[in-house]
Amino acid sequence: MRASYCLGLLLTVLLGACGGRQSIVLVPDPDGRVGRAEVITAGGKRLLDKSGDMTQVRSRILQPSAVSTAQAGYLAERFGEALAIEPPAPEKFVLYFETGTTVLKPPSHEVVNQIVAASQRRKAISIAISGHTDTAGSVQLNDDLARQRADFVHQLLTLRGAEFKRISVSSHGKGNPAVPTADGVAEPRNRRAEITVY
Amino acid sequence: MKLLFCIVLLLMLPAISTAAGEAAVVGHIQTLQGSVWIERGALRLGGEAGSEVRQGDILRTGKPGAVGLVLLDNTTVSLGSGSELVVRDYAFQPREGKFTLVMQMLKGSFSYVSGLIGKLAPDAIRLQLPEATIAVRGTKLLVEIGD
Repeated sequence: MRASYCLGLLLTVLLGACGGRQSIVLVPDPDGRVGRAEVITAGGKRLLDKSGDMTQVRSRILQPSAVSTAQAGYLAERFGEALAIEPPAPEKFVLYFETGTTVLKPPSHEVVNQIVAASQRRKAISIAISGHTDTAGSVQLNDDLARQRADFVHQLLTLRGAEFKRISVSSHGKGNPAVPTADGVAEPRNRRAEITVY
Repeated sequence: MKLLFCIVLLLMLPAISTAAGEAAVVGHIQTLQGSVWIERGALRLGGEAGSEVRQGDILRTGKPGAVGLVLLDNTTVSLGSGSELVVRDYAFQPREGKFTLVMQMLKGSFSYVSGLIGKLAPDAIRLQLPEATIAVRGTKLLVEIGD
């Protein structure tokens, strides 16, 4: 009797002391793709790789529960609030530059107008600008040029009356090309600034 | 004398490290409803659209309260009522090829949608729950931590 009481107490401590049950559900991302997630405890792991796959964890010492399929009603009830407040997808734009300069290619002037209009329509919370270069030239030169391109776009958007609460400006140098090339290759599609309007 | 100097230096250390060590911005609040706040050390800041979120901040929602967070790489996380989240470790540095995302989901309900780090370095992402760790590759996940 006492032994079973102790065992019960031990189980309660092991399972219960750790707080609530944790539920994890895999769902398609906004593009409709389903990735995969591995849920790991000291007791084992479970792989979620199909839409609606769900597992639950009660204790760090036990393996997560066998994978089941989450019901739509359960998801709506438990995740309605979090799903309703998901940030809407941002709008993305790309501006292209003449080689080695912060001079915009002529077609990009119209894109500047579109960025300003989008920021006003959305009452943008944030605008992120990253400057980029192709791989011709030294790392230092490209880091500086990418920074100058991003700073130029920042000034231009401000002058044109873009609306935002915050703005972030970064230089990716030649390290994050739109079109991967060997080093030392002049590639117009990589001489760019990417602008994300949130 | 040397000892005194060392003691003074030791006493100054916290001040020096605070001045030099302001945590990096990892993202911003994009959407919110009800009560939302950010705890940064001893500071407790009311959250609003556009508020910066820094590494190590505790992002909390009240009841009712809900918030949508966008990280620098476009990872998004939204929280329902009574939730608590910390971005514990974050690096998004495409120029150097450095990517890390470690988030602690402490309580409440969450919707997580992976961003660029999920595409560029899927093995760099860990979601830490009270009793489990999730290694997530490029997808959307719903997580609930019961009371």
